[in-house]
Amino acid sequence: MSYIIEVEDLWKRFPMRRDRPGFKEFFVNLPKFINRDSNSYFWALKGISIKVEKGECVGIIGKNGAGKSTLLSLILGNVYPTRGRVSVSEKITPLLELGAGFHPDMTGRENILINGVLLGLTKNEVMERMEDIIAFSDISDFINLPVRTYSTGMYLRLAFSVAIHMDPKLLLIDEILSVGDEAFQKKSRDALLNLINGGVTTIFASHQMSAIKEICHRAIWLDGGEIRAEGEPERVVEEYLRYPG
Amino acid sequence: MKFLNNREFRRKKDLLWLLTKKEITLKYKRTFLGIFWSLLNPILFAIVLFIAFKIFMRIQMENYTFFLLAALFPWNWFSASIIISTGTLIGNVSLIKKVIFPRHFLIIATVLAQLINLVFAMPIIVAFSYYYGEGPGINWLLIVPILIAIQFTVTIGICLMVSVINAYFRDMEYIIGIIITMLFWMTPIIYPLDVIPEAYRIYLILNPLTYLITAWRDIFMSNSINWSNIIVSFGISLVFFLSGIFIFQRLGRSLDEVI
Repeated sequence: MSYIIEVEDLWKRFPMRRDRPGFKEFFVNLPKFINRDSNSYFWALKGISIKVEKGECVGIIGKNGAGKSTLLSLILGNVYPTRGRVSVSEKITPLLELGAGFHPDMTGRENILINGVLLGLTKNEVMERMEDIIAFSDISDFINLPVRTYSTGMYLRLAFSVAIHMDPKLLLIDEILSVGDEAFQKKSRDALLNLINGGVTTIFASHQMSAIKEICHRAIWLDGGEIRAEGEPERVVEEYLRYPG
Repeated sequence: MKFLNNREFRRKKDLLWLLTKKEITLKYKRTFLGIFWSLLNPILFAIVLFIAFKIFMRIQMENYTFFLLAALFPWNWFSASIIISTGTLIGNVSLIKKVIFPRHFLIIATVLAQLINLVFAMPIIVAFSYYYGEGPGINWLLIVPILIAIQFTVTIGICLMVSVINAYFRDMEYIIGIIITMLFWMTPIIYPLDVIPEAYRIYLILNPLTYLITAWRDIFMSNSINWSNIIVSFGISLVFFLSGIFIFQRLGRSLDEVI
């Protein structure tokens, strides 16, 4: 069996002090800086190994700060591992942030085009899908207006609609199932389920346990950068919910 | 030409074009004069310089307005690209963190978008050339693209450097402001190259624009080509280009940790 994603003994650390001290602080705290422990790092991931088969839907659960988003960024390739290896043998469609790259002063149409190309299509391919994307997002009246005039819900609906029309082969999703009103939430969940049932490999990080149980074939519980449990979604979610920490 | 039909190549081309178009259209969106600001800016500046140096300081030089504009338009492409690209990476956080695409495209798009100003300025330069001289010669068709290519190369190199350095070291933005001002006065823009004393000329090679601006002026004002200037500026531009790529790749790896 060939794997779409292979993650081997993955470690990632971030420097603890995210803001470099300025000149003033430097002089005020000079003695402290001289004796500073230069090895203060935060390990976001500590030796993670995951293999994902084609067509599988893997749910990732865990508390805030457990390393879910870092893991997704590493798989996407925006973040380099400190140690270990990530290999991905398929084009990735990231849904890590809806509307990443949308510009408020551009119209809905213009944003669809640039977002679609950023997510991996050619201009012509986006143009072919344009009407479908607009129809799915339900904002046809506003589509030629700048995005800054949209309500939050409309903005997210448009962004979600672009993302699911990209013919994804491998989807990375970071907590976005709750988009828009009830009706659109159902619509978006159905669309995602369609993709997953159609054989799209999916990595899905979420706090919505019902969604994990419903959609995923396998769940992984991350805790403090390590895999705490892995397997049947029902069982892993149970364990996670029972865990007091 | 099989690779031109390659889908990934077409996608990259579309992406670069769309990013460039976005830069161009957004820059003056919601302004009344729009793209004309890019022409007004150097023209008004040229008028002020003309008053200061020609009328007040009484510099003895013919066609001083044309002399200024022939250098100011290319200079503007350079300086605007650098000032804008300093903030390009830190201004596109969500794209860089959440989408995967070649990040240097953002910088290339910025530089290409500023090139449009030079293109818009060409009719003005042509008009001046007819008014003060014999008009543009056939050699413009060869030299103007070459000079654009050289300036593009050096500008891209510097923009890659400053944009990524600024992500780690935000003082860069202010340093760039000072350097651009200093560079303006240290480049033969408001004075010709030959007023610089022989002893100092050697240091001019440190300034990537000295020979380039001189070459622009040669072609615009007298249809003349000084190949040694062009070759020197090409050499300098390559050095900046390669260092830019090197620094961008090196620092780009942990970009996500600092923006």
